[in-house]
Parts: sequence; C-alpha cells; structure tokens
Amino acid sequence: MVNAIRGVLLECDPAVKQFILHLNKENTGSHSGFVIMDLDETHLFVDESIVEYLQEKLDDLHEKSYQFKKT
Amino acid sequence: MSDQPDENNDLLNNNTDTTAQEPNNTQPEEGSSKKKRKRDRSGEEKDKKKKKRDKDRTGDKKKKKSSSKSDMSDSLKRIATDAVKDIFNQNKEKQFDYVNLILKADHAMRPIWVTPDKHIFLETFSPIYAQAYDFLVAIAEPLSRPENIHEYVLTDYSLYAAVSIGLSTEQIVKVLEKLSKVELEKSVETYIRDATGNYGKVKLILQKNEFFVESQSIKVLEQLMNDSEIKGAVKVPDPVQNSNVDPSGRFLVRMQSTTDTDSYRLAQEVKALTVAAEKNASNVQDGDDEDEENGDGQEDKIKMYSFGIVAEKVGKIKERCIKLDLPVLEEYDFRNDKNTKLDIDLRPTTTIRSYQERSLSKMFGNARARSGIIVLPCGAGKTLTGITAASTIKRSTLVLCINAVSVEQWKNQFKLWTNVDESRIVCFTSTVKEKLPLTGASIIITTYNMISHNRKRSIEGQRIMQQISEREWGMMLLDEVHVVPAETFRRVIEVVKAHCKLGLTATLLREDNLTDDLYFLIGPKLYEANWLDLQKKGHLATVHCVEVWCPMTPEFYREYLTTNHNKRQLLYVMNPNKFRACEYLLKYHEARGDKIIVFADNIFALEEYARELKRAFIFGDTSQAERIEIFKKFRTTTQINTIFISKVGDTAIDLPEATVILQISSHFGSRRQEAQRLGRILRPKGQGKGQNSAYFYSLVSLDTAEMFFSSRRQQFLINQGYAFRVLANIDEQIRNDKDIIVESFKGKAQELTMLAKIKAADDTKGVLEKVKQDPDEVVSQKSRSNGALTLGGLSGGESGLMYQEYGNASRAKKGASTSKHPLFKNRNK
Repeated sequence: MVNAIRGVLLECDPAVKQFILHLNKENTGSHSGFVIMDLDETHLFVDESIVEYLQEKLDDLHEKSYQFKKT
Repeated sequence: MSDQPDENNDLLNNNTDTTAQEPNNTQPEEGSSKKKRKRDRSGEEKDKKKKKRDKDRTGDKKKKKSSSKSDMSDSLKRIATDAVKDIFNQNKEKQFDYVNLILKADHAMRPIWVTPDKHIFLETFSPIYAQAYDFLVAIAEPLSRPENIHEYVLTDYSLYAAVSIGLSTEQIVKVLEKLSKVELEKSVETYIRDATGNYGKVKLILQKNEFFVESQSIKVLEQLMNDSEIKGAVKVPDPVQNSNVDPSGRFLVRMQSTTDTDSYRLAQEVKALTVAAEKNASNVQDGDDEDEENGDGQEDKIKMYSFGIVAEKVGKIKERCIKLDLPVLEEYDFRNDKNTKLDIDLRPTTTIRSYQERSLSKMFGNARARSGIIVLPCGAGKTLTGITAASTIKRSTLVLCINAVSVEQWKNQFKLWTNVDESRIVCFTSTVKEKLPLTGASIIITTYNMISHNRKRSIEGQRIMQQISEREWGMMLLDEVHVVPAETFRRVIEVVKAHCKLGLTATLLREDNLTDDLYFLIGPKLYEANWLDLQKKGHLATVHCVEVWCPMTPEFYREYLTTNHNKRQLLYVMNPNKFRACEYLLKYHEARGDKIIVFADNIFALEEYARELKRAFIFGDTSQAERIEIFKKFRTTTQINTIFISKVGDTAIDLPEATVILQISSHFGSRRQEAQRLGRILRPKGQGKGQNSAYFYSLVSLDTAEMFFSSRRQQFLINQGYAFRVLANIDEQIRNDKDIIVESFKGKAQELTMLAKIKAADDTKGVLEKVKQDPDEVVSQKSRSNGALTLGGLSGGESGLMYQEYGNASRAKKGASTSKHPLFKNRNK
C-alpha cells in the first residue's frame, strides 16, 4: 500500500530556506515541526496548515530588513 | 501584470475588486522605478514622496477611498493596503491632503509649490529656475536636491540666515507669493513674519576685548536685562570711563549710519526676480515695483543702545536670546578694527571658483564679516575658502583642525595660496609647539583637543594657551565644524575670543541631533553647495553609486539567525558571497588601472579580507612609517593598487588618486561616514584615462540588518542627488565573466572553516574599531541599539568624544624612550 501525505511544495532561495528551518526548530513544541521533507537547496515540503503563519513571519523578516525607520 | 485585466473582466460580482487592484498595480511598478523620482503634479492634488525606498507612496486620494478591506485573503493585497494605511496612520499630523490649496490660473509659469507645512518644492525645468533657486537657497533649508524636483523647508534658522544677509520680511513674502503656483497659506505667511520679525533686533559686538549687546530699541534691551538668566552677566557702564552713557545710566549710546550695501544688492536681485516672475505671469502689478524702490538706499543716522556683558557668559546669553526669540546677530566690522593687521594676501595665481566666491559673498555681505558655517562637499576647496576669508579680514587668525595631520595640511595650504610670511604661521599640537612671534598679528593652527584640554599642560603649552586666550582674534576658522557640538569641544568657543567665526564642513550631520546647537555656537549656515551642480560643472568627479546585493550562504544565514548581536555583524560582513563579490570587483577594476580603496570598519574582517586577497591594509595599530610607505607606493607606483583601510581613513587622509571605493562594513547608519568616504573620490581627475568618473560600491548582505542600515546611510547622498543603482545578480556576472576568476571560497569546505573561525572568535571581534576621535559619538553598539546608558557614559567617559591626548606621544613610548629627567618623569602623564 502506498501511503500518501498531503502537503505544500515551497520554493525559495537558500537563505530564506534557512530561516524557515530555523522557525521549524522553534516550533517543535506545537507540532513535530511542520517541515515534512527537505528536498534540496531551494525546495521544501511543508504542512499546508502552516502556510499562513509562514507568510506572516516572512513579512516580519522583510520589514525588519527593509523598513526604513523615521528619524 | 498582463493577466490581471483579464481577471478583472471575469470577476463580475465585486466592483471593489477591480479598484482594489489598482494600488497593487501602481505600487510594484513604482517600486521598480528610480528610487527618488518625484511624480509630476496632476491637477490640484499633490503626491509627496518621502524618504522611503520601496513601496511607500502616497496614492491618489480617490484610490485610497476605494481600497476597501474586501474579503480577499490574497496576502499581496493585504500587504499593499497595509502599507498605504501605515503611511496615512503614521503621519496623521502631516496633511498630505492638498485639495484645499488654491491653484492660480497661470500656475504653469511659476516654478514652486508651497505647502501648509512649510515645505517648498521647486521644479528644475522651469525657465526661471536659476533665480528661484538662488532665492530659495537663501531663505530655506534644502532637504533634497535630485535631478528634477528639489525640496526645501522653511525653518527658524533658515529665515534667520536670510535676514542676516539683508532680506526683509516683505520681500520674502512677496517673492514667495510671486513664484508660487498656489496661493500662499495664511499660516505660512504668519510664520515668516513672526520668524523674521525678531531677527536683527539684537547685535553682539566685540570691542577692545569686551562684549556688548546692542540694539536699536531700548525696550528690547530692557527685556533682555530683566531676564533672570541674563541679569547676572550684565556689566553696568561706568559713567566716568565712558562718555556716552544714556540718561538712565544703564546703556551706552552710539550713532550709526545705515547704508546697507549688501541688502541693497540683494534687494536689486529680488526685484529683478519679481520682474521676471511678473513677465511670466499673466497679471502685471505695477504697484509692487515702487515698494521695492523705497526700501533701500536710505542714509540715516540712528541711535544704537548697548550694554556690556561678562565674556565667559557669552555663549549662555546667546542661547538664552534664541530661546526668547531674539537671536543675536554677530557682525564684525573688520575694516575699522584697530587691532594689528596681518600682512596676508592671496597669490595672484590663486583662482577662486564661482561657488567659493558665492559662499564668501554671503559671509562678507555689507563690508562686514558675519559668523557662520559654510558647507562644501569634500574636495571642493574648503581650505581655500577659509584661507580667502582670512586674507580678506587680515587680522590674527586661529585655525582649529581635528588632528595633527590636518594641521600640517593647513599650514602647507597657507604657504601655497598666500604670500604670508612663514614665521607668522605657528603650529601648536601635542608634539609641535612653535614660537609665537613677539609682536604683530599671526596665524595659529592647532587642534580642538589642544584648546579644550583641561588637564595639566607642559610649560610651553601653558604659555601658548595663555597667549591664545588673552588675545583678541580677528577670525577663528573651524575645520570639520560638525564635531564642535560635542561636549568636550564646546569649551573652545568659550575659551577663545574671536570677532568672527567661520565653520567649514562637508557634512553638517550628526546622528545625535546636536547640529542645531551649532547655530548659536557659531552662526547660521551661510552657504550650502549643490553637489549635483558642482558635478555638472566639473568641479567634482561624476560618481556612480552602486549597491551590490550579496545573498547570505545558507550556513552563514542559519548562524546569523541564532547567534547573538555582536557575532551577527561579523557574520554578515564575512559572508563568502560578499567575499567573492569583493574579489571580483577588485580584479575587474585593477584590470582597468583604477586605484581602489576598500573601507572596512571591523578589524577582524579587514585582516581576513586583506590577507586572503593579499592586499595591503591599514588600521589604527599600523605604524606611521608603514602608512606613509604604503601611501607613497599607492600614489606613485603600480605595485599597490588597492588598500584596505579601517576607520582611520575616514577623515583627513588625503588620497586624491583613488577612483573606486568599496565598502564592505560600516558604522551602522552613519550618514556622515558615508558622505565622507565618498569624499575620498570626489576630486575631479581630468587626466588619467580620460574619464572623469568614479565608482562607489557598497556591498550589503541580503536579508540582514545591513540592508536596513544601508538604506539609512544612503539617505544623505540621495538627497544630494546621487542615485544608487542596485546590482542584484553579481554572482551571475561572476560566472559569466571568463576573464576574471574568483578564487576565494571555492568549495563548501572553505566556507565552513571560515564559519567555524567566526564562531570561535571572541565576541569583541564583532565590535567596530574604536578610533580616538569618533565624530559620531557612537562608541558602543549596545548603547545605540537599546538606548541604554553605560556606566562609562554616565560618568562622562563614553558619551561625547573620547578625548584622549595620547596620540603620538604614546607611540613614542613604545619605541625610544623620551629622554626625560627623572624629576620630571611624572609630569603630564
């Protein structure tokens, strides 16, 4: 019998992938990590319920790096 | 993007969908266009662009209303609408809504917009741009001057400066009204009247080594005398000594004529401007011309009242007067000054450029010298400007520099450009103490540290200091005046009594916002040059600013996310991709024969890079002899084409031959540092390869804090008109370029060894080099990032400049021992 797991394929550049893996490590409390499989340098296979959360976190990262604070 | 119109047609239900799409469409497009492009005015609404880099633009008011919060879960839309909401929420006080501004019928002829929040926008493509520019530079503070549209703001100080060169309130308001596309708001007009009304009422005069506060109206003087803080400093005039005491016995009286030649000339200019504006406008008003005529050319004798004040309190009094809204005007009538003249003249071969002449004309307006600050870009000839001013005043001059190297440079410049007798120029530093000529005027060149030194001095030093503080100086030249507001250097102003103070700098920026203090410490900003203008005229080299984006390697990025603050800096600086990019750029430019300087604030990085790439490097601990050797080879031979320099290279090291600068690590958000580093390559290099261009590369690691700081740093340069291009795909270029082979970090293994090295390195390696004189006063990372106070800061050690007098003396200690008699060994340690 074949066991099929449903998930979402994530494609990104290597640096962001590291960021996601970092988040994954932090989340081992609630799930057992949302990353189902680490495919290669730029692809990840993740749990579909985590997509929204990931989006938020990536926005935060983006803001922190790029946002220009008012002086 | 091309799919979207189809989608719109398919969505039959929600109308809001289509309109909500609009912010989406416009914003990414705008983001990809040039960073600081100002959009054209469309009808009555105005889009004001603030200093944001990517997608923050003010949309059309109609668009904003329609971007409703629909039930879309499309995250892209969410980001867009959130961004728009952010802008409007953040700047609630600032009204971007200009629907209420009344547009004049002939607005197309006029060059400026004046908004209710006192910002002025000037179109550079207007036919009367040149005159309008001169006028605006005289009355307002330039914020941003790129290619097509300039932005200025009216501030107290800028209006103060306008009045001090002779413009009257009426003139300012009239001309502004004439040039503006929209009707002048009442609030702006009242502001101008209020601000200019009080200036020029009170003057500060130095006569016979005594300070006097003078004014035309007794009421104003009484107000000052009764003020609690000034009361203590007033000196009651002695009726026996002074014959011209007024009836009430409190003031001295003096008669003065009012031929104001400078304001006459300016009035003529302004009149010409209004006439030109009228010609372009459809409505011609004859009445205005007559008003202008009557204002000038009056020859009158008026009474001036004054009272004396204690010399040490001068600074406090000036500050207090500003708070009372009665800023003091300082003018030095040098032609009638009885002090000994200094025999100094510019050599006939010396030529002064147009912008230098303009800046000096602002200073020497009506046959008197005004104190103030002149801002000229690096390499544009600030030293010559100062020397010309000194040659005009022809009195004893005191020149203050930041370090001993500058002192030497100033002395050489004086000898080069003028015919002053060499014995009249005296250098005074911790190592060199020349003798002052016994009689007559002289020029003393020294450093800020020497004057504000409050520890014990040597006998020699003591004597010279005494002579300095006793003398009445005609002029005080302050080089790199942006360091003066620092606590330690303020004392300089109090210790030295000078008639006229001229501050010179290229960057009037400080990250701690003490620049305003300069205005009462020294004077208003007399002139600020337009960098783009100078570049066009060929006085400055054309610079291409490029930001190179280097992605972090996965392992480095992993480490960056999890590690502590200090190490982070090390990680994004030592990013192997950045290394490769650096090497590629070095090889590319060296092949073209360019001279390259690489700046790196972090010593660990500096050493690693330089050793790996086998290039020369200089930092704080490099010996003076080695530095001189390296510079000589850099200048004259092709043995050394690249030098890696740490913070010591930021100021005062003169390397005119460099054509390319690479920046691999920098000092947080310091705009001043960015500007000064750029100054290293701004000198025009007409000869050479026939090009007059220079390159400024800033290497940043993607997705790290470095991106954030870099956008902040570039702000200053962008405001001057330099556009930063982004080179995002340098690794592609490296791969495609067959001629240049990049060798560092070829394999993963090397990268991992570097990573291990960094992890093992001491935490302190991540901190920046501490240079003795830190002009930004940002000494430690921690105090900047948390705003927390360090113990050193509380006790006055770390905040403010780290004043230390060890300079060359301590280096001498390492080598030969200074032959000191045992009895005096412990003196001035």
